[in-house]
Amino acid sequence: MSLRLRLAVEWLLIGGIASLLVIFALNWRGIDDFDNIIYDQIASFGRPDADPDILIVAIDDRSLSEIGKWPWPRNIHAELFEKLKPANPNSVALDVIISEPSADGGDELLTDAIANMPSIFLPLHFITPGSDGRDYDTQLPIEKLRQAATATGHVNLSDRDDVIRRASLCFDPQNGSGKWPHLMELIYRTRTKGKASRAFADSKCGSEFIVPYAKRGSFATISYTDLVSTNVPPDLIRNKDVIIGATATGLGDSHPVPFADGGLMPGAEIMANMLSALKSDGFIRPLGEPITLVMSILPIWLLLFAFLRFSPKRALLSSIAFILVILVSSAVALNYGIWFPPGAALAGIFIIYPLWGWRRLQAVSDFMDRELSNIDASGDMAPLLHKEPRANDIVGRQSAALGSAIDHIRDLRRFVSDVLSDLPDPMAVVDRKGTIILSNNLVEERIGGKVDGMNITEIADIIVTPAHHAAVLDYIDAADANSADTEDENGFIRFNAQEGSTFVMRRSPVISDKERHLGDIYYLTDISALAEAETQREEVLQLLSHDMRAPQSAIIASLEGKLDTAARKRIERNARRTMRLAQDFVDMARMAETEFAGDDILLADLVRDVADNLWPLAEERQVKIHVEDRSNSGFVLAEPDALSRAISNLIDNAIKFSPEGSNIDIAIRRIEIGRQCDLTVTISDNGSGISEEILPRLFSRFSTDDNEKRRAKGAGLGLAYVETVAVRHGGSIRAENRKNGGADFILMLPEASEETAD
Amino acid sequence: MALQGSEVLGFMRVAIADDEIDVTQFLAKIVEEQGHVAATFSDGQMLTQALVRDTFDLVILDWMMPGKDGLATIKWMDETLTEAPPVIMMTNRTAKQDISDALNAGADDYITKPEDRNVIAARINAILRRTSSSGAFETKATYGKYELDRIDQTVTMDGKTVSLTAKEFELADLFFRNRDRTLSRNYIMETIWRTTVSLATRTLDMHISRVRSKLDLTPDNGFRIFTVFGYGYRLETIDKG
Repeated sequence: MSLRLRLAVEWLLIGGIASLLVIFALNWRGIDDFDNIIYDQIASFGRPDADPDILIVAIDDRSLSEIGKWPWPRNIHAELFEKLKPANPNSVALDVIISEPSADGGDELLTDAIANMPSIFLPLHFITPGSDGRDYDTQLPIEKLRQAATATGHVNLSDRDDVIRRASLCFDPQNGSGKWPHLMELIYRTRTKGKASRAFADSKCGSEFIVPYAKRGSFATISYTDLVSTNVPPDLIRNKDVIIGATATGLGDSHPVPFADGGLMPGAEIMANMLSALKSDGFIRPLGEPITLVMSILPIWLLLFAFLRFSPKRALLSSIAFILVILVSSAVALNYGIWFPPGAALAGIFIIYPLWGWRRLQAVSDFMDRELSNIDASGDMAPLLHKEPRANDIVGRQSAALGSAIDHIRDLRRFVSDVLSDLPDPMAVVDRKGTIILSNNLVEERIGGKVDGMNITEIADIIVTPAHHAAVLDYIDAADANSADTEDENGFIRFNAQEGSTFVMRRSPVISDKERHLGDIYYLTDISALAEAETQREEVLQLLSHDMRAPQSAIIASLEGKLDTAARKRIERNARRTMRLAQDFVDMARMAETEFAGDDILLADLVRDVADNLWPLAEERQVKIHVEDRSNSGFVLAEPDALSRAISNLIDNAIKFSPEGSNIDIAIRRIEIGRQCDLTVTISDNGSGISEEILPRLFSRFSTDDNEKRRAKGAGLGLAYVETVAVRHGGSIRAENRKNGGADFILMLPEASEETAD
Repeated sequence: MALQGSEVLGFMRVAIADDEIDVTQFLAKIVEEQGHVAATFSDGQMLTQALVRDTFDLVILDWMMPGKDGLATIKWMDETLTEAPPVIMMTNRTAKQDISDALNAGADDYITKPEDRNVIAARINAILRRTSSSGAFETKATYGKYELDRIDQTVTMDGKTVSLTAKEFELADLFFRNRDRTLSRNYIMETIWRTTVSLATRTLDMHISRVRSKLDLTPDNGFRIFTVFGYGYRLETIDKG
């Protein structure tokens, strides 16, 4: 597995694990506690003010001591209401559950007092689970009171937590059984002509809200006993929402709340806080669970993406930044009445930084280990891993080994560039686009400038003569096509440089360990001297050919009108033969060093041409030559000069060994061998045949023979020439004796198809 | 056939340049036997000097000469003379490339040394015949065994009609009219097919091959087709002397 792949897998794993962790954390009380601490810290900065229109009438310790032990007779409350009524409060809530009829007949008195009040509210309480297997018990005020009161509202506190943080404005004790608005919600509606609060209307029944607590004791409070026994100024009560509830410690209606400011908070004050929040729309809505989940997981993945790009140091900084951002966002949201618990998200972030750091280090360490031992195993360098035994830990050792590996590579690069610059020929290494990445100074010398960043084609533009320019560019262009096949030899191209020297350009591909084509190495070899030698040699051959022919031509020309016919003809024939031998010799020398360049030739016509050339000789010996084309106009790819001379040698040979008055039959045939077609030229004479001894080496070069009777006389070079030409044309020559006398010489050549001709 | 040249043409002035004295003498003799006048020069320089002040109907040039070689002389003639005489290049060079180079450089014909005297005579006459041709059109013409009827487009050989297609007849006619002259492939294609481009190269080879077989153009019948590889063809008359 490559380092990249491994890191990608580790990255995904870390992301997955952290996400799962966050999901788990969201449902874990420990994180709840943590969130609560954070909430308390944040919320303590912006606590709301107490609503001045709320008056708490406290059943405090002093009231108990002055009025008497709890429970009080019901007429006491009736008296209170008598006192309150003239002062005209907006509403009155009696947070005392009177669920059982009294024995002293005070109930009637209280009922009348309540009925007298224009706006009075009573609590009811649900106890879940209920007794005797019921889902819940309802603790209601006694029937008479309930009917006398304006309305009854629930006063259940949310007890998920030991600390009272949340409240439900609507209680649905058994899912769907009925909706009970909170007592405070009902009071709130007295000021809105019955319209429900936003918090109530916008949420499902049973949703909990976080209660923003004002500073403890900041609500206007009056002691019950003071209200009953003294004359309270009516202004204190007018248009207030009066909440009557127990505050005495012994009555048990006090609860722990956040930032309790040194004590428990009485239920009445909690309700006052709720009413205050309702009026100012100050309830805090916790984010829904799906959104919380998304908001908790999202930062983890964002941070993981950041890890991919950042160095470990910046990754740490960005982790810290993320923590701050989450806390700040949480605080800002709280300011807008929304609570996002940051605990799970923070936990995720705290986890992934060290986790990623560990896994990344492990992956890199494993990778270095493997690569270093690979280098070690490949034997290119001295052993690496064992070099620094004193380094303190494994990563330290690996780093030291890596350091020495890099040193080796530096040395190697130095070595390569030294070798390069000492090469006798210009050489350049190019990437796949042809840009030069490494070259020796001979290239710069050649172009007379810097090669940095140049393309190999630009080098060609400078060096190569216009005549060869296109061909060289074609050769360079072929680099990519050839790269697929690493076995390709890539060949070479020969060109003339602009200042007159001749070069051969070669290329070999650079293939990486992983079989990828990385670029190419171009070599330029100066072959001017060689080219010069070739030219000279060709000139020598030309001269040789001409100078050997010229005197023979002169001999033949000067024979005109001299000597008798027979002697003249003999001299002329031998002069021509000398000439032909000289030509054969020169041609063979030339063929040995030139590339085959054939033309599309109609074989039968070429044979006829040759036969017609030899007609005077045949005429002289009274031999008839018949040429028959049975190939249906077969073409061959041939060098006409060489092939003509070869066939000429064969026919000449045949004429020489034919008895006077006999025939020579020449047939051109097509032979199909699979998809390939061959053409044959069969020259059949009626001579004495070829001796069996000479037959096997008939076509070998310079085979000489003194014996007059033997067939090969005088044909030593001639037949060797034929074979050279046949092979050069991709064909063959053979000879055989026919049963009824005479010899067949069979020249075989590959047929040129119509397509290859063009 | 030997005296055909003077009978038809009257006498002509032929310049011969070669550095081999044997060759110039041999050629001069042939020219004079044809009833023409020969002037000989031993190098290109002398020839060009003579060409400035004298007029010739034909120049026979050796390729490899001291002073000025054959190709340079042709170039000089093209550039200097207002009406350059036709040139026959004569040389020991036999390579296909050399022959087509010479013909493409402007030589009217090309003779490889050593060549038979009758062949040389025929070639000289062919050139001279062309330059002084009156262009008379004969409906029937006889060339040795062959008789061409240009109205019926038939060829008879020894009195027997040879069946030819229209193109084959035109080709045969072209060759007979221009016997002993080297015709380039382009010239033949333009004359017979009126094109040089759209024709597959093998078409011409195959037509010539068919004409050659059908008319049995062999030395035995007094004619032969000579292929100048890389350049064209020539119908040669054979003197069976």
